[in-house]
Amino acid sequence: MMRRIINAYFVEVQKAARMRVTYAGPVLVVLAVLAAMLQSPLERDGLSDYRFVYDATTIALDVLGLFLIVIFCSGLIASELGRGTIRTVLVRPLRRVEFLIAKLLLGATFAATLLVLAGAASWTLASLFGEVHGVEYGGETLYTSAGMAGAYAAAAAFSLLPLFALVAFALLMSTLTRSTAAAIGWSIGIWLLLDMVKHPLGIQPFVFTTYLEPWQVFAQRCDGFPEMGWMPANPVYLVGVSVGWLVLLVALAAGVLQRRSLHA
Amino acid sequence: MSTCIETSDLTKCYGPVVAVGGLSLRIETGEVFGLLGPNGAGKSTTLYMLTGLVRPTSGAVTIFGKDLRRGFLEIAARMGVLVERPSFYDHMTARANLLLLARLANRRVAVDRALDRVGLLWAAHQKVHTFSHGMRQRLGLAQALLTEPELLILDEPTNGLDAESTRDTIKLLRLLAEQAKVTIIVSSNLLHEVEILCDRVAIMNRGRLLACERTDRLLSYDPKQVEILVDAPETAAKRLMEQPWVNAVDIAYGRVNVKLGDASVHHLTSFLISSGFIVSGIVPQRRSLQDFFLKVLKR
Repeated sequence: MMRRIINAYFVEVQKAARMRVTYAGPVLVVLAVLAAMLQSPLERDGLSDYRFVYDATTIALDVLGLFLIVIFCSGLIASELGRGTIRTVLVRPLRRVEFLIAKLLLGATFAATLLVLAGAASWTLASLFGEVHGVEYGGETLYTSAGMAGAYAAAAAFSLLPLFALVAFALLMSTLTRSTAAAIGWSIGIWLLLDMVKHPLGIQPFVFTTYLEPWQVFAQRCDGFPEMGWMPANPVYLVGVSVGWLVLLVALAAGVLQRRSLHA
Repeated sequence: MSTCIETSDLTKCYGPVVAVGGLSLRIETGEVFGLLGPNGAGKSTTLYMLTGLVRPTSGAVTIFGKDLRRGFLEIAARMGVLVERPSFYDHMTARANLLLLARLANRRVAVDRALDRVGLLWAAHQKVHTFSHGMRQRLGLAQALLTEPELLILDEPTNGLDAESTRDTIKLLRLLAEQAKVTIIVSSNLLHEVEILCDRVAIMNRGRLLACERTDRLLSYDPKQVEILVDAPETAAKRLMEQPWVNAVDIAYGRVNVKLGDASVHHLTSFLISSGFIVSGIVPQRRSLQDFFLKVLKR
């Protein structure tokens, strides 16, 4: 099974790598990081620019990036259903659930790529045009540059889980229709609707529609909050909710795909 | 001969519509089996169920002695499929498409050989979006042949092909069946193509199997139907119509077509000669698949 999934994943990567539209996401993320310089200007004034790194990352990833991930992943299965290529693929020795997992891995790779790019671009810009030498307050070093980089890496790692859950959500929408546009519309529509109703319904602890939670430690370190640890406030809850959604959404998508008649 | 495909009471319903109802078939290894029927007869749905792309509402499919659902991976590895209107990744070349499909099959395959077999090697490095309908169809056949399958399931394989490509495709499929003992199940609306290609045909209509016969039996000569070449066809036809042992007579292109009732060709010849006609030929008529097809559909 693993071999078939790995083969299918490499096939998916090759297909995506040969499509120009795949590169739109990474390019836009880098442009968003550059645009963040307007919001948090970089200066060599003796003060560290971690706030820029935080702003650039959250703008590029948690605002634009989320839409890019939803758009990219919503088309992954819907486009195959619409074009009919799914029939060419699923008559090979490959189970539908394996095909779905390969798509999930591709979506996860795309999300991780955006995250890495947002991080790399924001840290590079901060190093080139600003300063990243640790956080100081009143002449005392609160956090070293290595400590800040570590906190950023921990936040990035934790933020991957809700991003993967988002990938699974978009994939579920993708299995429901043969139209990529409809899948994107449904994904974004339901996502925005959830964001509107999560507070009135009291379900906000279980729906990460802002994805900012994992970044709070890094943000507070940037602002000079003393004695901040590495981990988010409630890591078990953060991981549990994300993984729970991921498993549920993948199971639903697998059920839908399994029951689908793939005739012309 | 062993059984390659067996379906029992195979049924597919889309809501209240029965696309295929209670289909039981047995196809032998190395056989070329044709599925015929008008549009909406259930041919494609049947083929889709055999490939696992459509789940039957009820009934079972056994291929290579294994249940299709449980043994899908093993069956799919030995099967090549051409679905109606084959689709590919248009932004990639023909060769790249086949390489990806080969990777999914987890096999080292000769992509160029598959392309060569369908006469598409020259376009191997061309992107699929530049392909004509016929070229796509041939690429569809190439991907079906890619892993040297033991079973080929082909939905209208010559759809959109020109006369030369159609002839080559039929030749290739016959060769695969005869030399490599590949079992082929093919659906088509083109009766003359099925006549040449298939060992056995099944006729479906409105999801039901109406008839299943060996092609050589269907296409055998009919001893009761002859074409006569005589010196005076109109007079001969008039005389024959008066005979109680003649069922039907008509003239086409100066030839008299006679359908005999309770009499032999020998009796007919003797009658014509004794009546003073100069008979230059009597040609027994071959039954056509079209006659059989129309007869079955009328029934």
